[in-house]
Amino acid sequence: MKLVVAVLKPFKLDEVKEALKTAGVQGMTVTEAQGFGRQRGHTEVYRGAEYEVDFVPKIRVEILVDDEQAAEVVDAVVATAATGKIGDGKVWVVPVDTVVRVRTGERGSDAI
Amino acid sequence: MLGAVHNVPYPSWLNTGDNTWQLVAATFVGLMSLPGLAVLYASIVQKKWAVNVLAMMFAGFSLVLIAWVLWSYKMGFGATSLGGGVHDGVQTQLTNVGWVKHFFENFVGKPGQILNAYNEQGPAVSAANTAVPFHFPTTTLAYFQFVFAAITPLLFLGSVLGRIKFSAWCLLVPLWSTFVYGVDAFLLWGGGYFAQEGSLDFSGGYVIHMSAGVSGFVAAWVLGPRLLRDRKNAIPNNLVMAAVGAGILWLGWNGFNGGDPYYAGADAAAAVVNTNLATACGVMVWVAMDAWFSKPRKPTFLGAVNGMICGLVGITPCAGFVNGWGAIAVGAICSAVVWIAWNYLSKVRPFSKVDDALGVIYTHGMAGFLGGMLLGIFGDPKTLELGCGTLNSAGQVVSTTQSAFVQSHGGCSTFGVNGLMYTGSSHQLWEQFRAAIWVVFWSALVTFILMKLIGLVLRGARYSDEILEIGDLAIHDEEAFPEETLAQRVGISTMAGDTPSVTSRPPDSGPPPGVADS
Repeated sequence: MKLVVAVLKPFKLDEVKEALKTAGVQGMTVTEAQGFGRQRGHTEVYRGAEYEVDFVPKIRVEILVDDEQAAEVVDAVVATAATGKIGDGKVWVVPVDTVVRVRTGERGSDAI
Repeated sequence: MLGAVHNVPYPSWLNTGDNTWQLVAATFVGLMSLPGLAVLYASIVQKKWAVNVLAMMFAGFSLVLIAWVLWSYKMGFGATSLGGGVHDGVQTQLTNVGWVKHFFENFVGKPGQILNAYNEQGPAVSAANTAVPFHFPTTTLAYFQFVFAAITPLLFLGSVLGRIKFSAWCLLVPLWSTFVYGVDAFLLWGGGYFAQEGSLDFSGGYVIHMSAGVSGFVAAWVLGPRLLRDRKNAIPNNLVMAAVGAGILWLGWNGFNGGDPYYAGADAAAAVVNTNLATACGVMVWVAMDAWFSKPRKPTFLGAVNGMICGLVGITPCAGFVNGWGAIAVGAICSAVVWIAWNYLSKVRPFSKVDDALGVIYTHGMAGFLGGMLLGIFGDPKTLELGCGTLNSAGQVVSTTQSAFVQSHGGCSTFGVNGLMYTGSSHQLWEQFRAAIWVVFWSALVTFILMKLIGLVLRGARYSDEILEIGDLAIHDEEAFPEETLAQRVGISTMAGDTPSVTSRPPDSGPPPGVADS
């Protein structure tokens, strides 16, 4: 089993979600995040005082998948989230040791 | 000291009760814009647009006042510029001149400032009100009328927000206020053509709400829609603050309608209660229709706010011209009809093709039109006759019975309210209809021309898609709810007493000074 983690531009979430549904993904977890990458941050001004904000709003998506599905899911995320401009985000895959469905106690692939 | 002269800091024509109430009422109406409408709109847009809405609200309010005192108050409430029946605030009814001449000679007032000392503190005059003189100075009337002029463009900000350039807004507001509001205010309130013909608009169902609804719709059409994503995700950011804005709007309306008799008298009191009554009915009708007829069949809070606005707007042209039963009918009918329009008409062209962001055409445009027309049905002639007295030469009110007053004066107004229900005549309804058609036509035409002109001058009146993706941060460098932890002040200077921050403290050096071990 694998955990696919993607940090993306927030407005791409809808498209990514639809693409993942089409790819047969049954569920995902989404968190609002603040990120720091090669994309420049921005300046805010309050009452004449300038503030640098290096972090930009991102959305963090986590998807649990079977080993053989991981590549397809990564491709789907990359294909839909790309705008070609800096700040599109990153996707990475990590191996998962154990997964349990809380309601039934099912383990491993059955729990995905 | 018998016979001593007591000086008072006001002239004999001034009535302190009238002046007090008028200034209080004006302040209430001002509070409807800032913060009422500003907070309501800023809370029901997405978080990323809240600051932009607030900035445009404060700028719009300011711009209208500057234009108002320099030229546009006189356009609405001064002497006619075209030689018709209104001279120096006194109306001289034209007869047998034909309606075309009558119309154009009573079209708009002559622009002028009201800033010198006499203009500010001299007695207020208006051609629309020659029967009973005003008992407060020009600036009281001008400020009271200003807060109405100011809220009107702020209302239709709800149609164009989420894409209009700040600069385009700052051009549109004073131009629109001059050429649309100035003209309609004169025609209906300043003693112009429709006022002389007998069309009535108590506090602005036509001049304010219908005009705002139509203008917003046309401006939104010229401007084009918001981003698809903004339309798909157009959810409010704070319903609690929306309640604060909506509540200020409702109670502020006590000044809106309660101030429009211009006298702190019986009709003001009736207008206040009628306003609240119609609004209460508007709220409950919308909530009930949500609960019974909407797809999820749930009562909704934002539905209650919509119903509230329908009731308030619907009763605005009628407030002091209907009785309490009329108020109930007006509030309920406006809310029910607008609910149907909101849920069904919105799926039909042209409504389905124009992105009127907050739906101003429904709750203000349609409710204003309905209220104005319903006045032609429920307008009660007796509302104007009750509560009149006469002053003696010392400026004191002489006791007058109503029937004696009405017999000797034939009523205390130069105009009448003649609803179909009470007189059996549909003439009032016809005059209401004619004025409605005019206001729709003029608002739409002039707004269209102004938006096209502004688009030419600014090379587009809307922001680029890149800016629209970001919203407040791209336009103002501010956001509604900034995160302290993520921001670092640029170029902060050190000051006496600064201690090194906790994170820069070397490890194992113990707790910082002043922190006791626990």
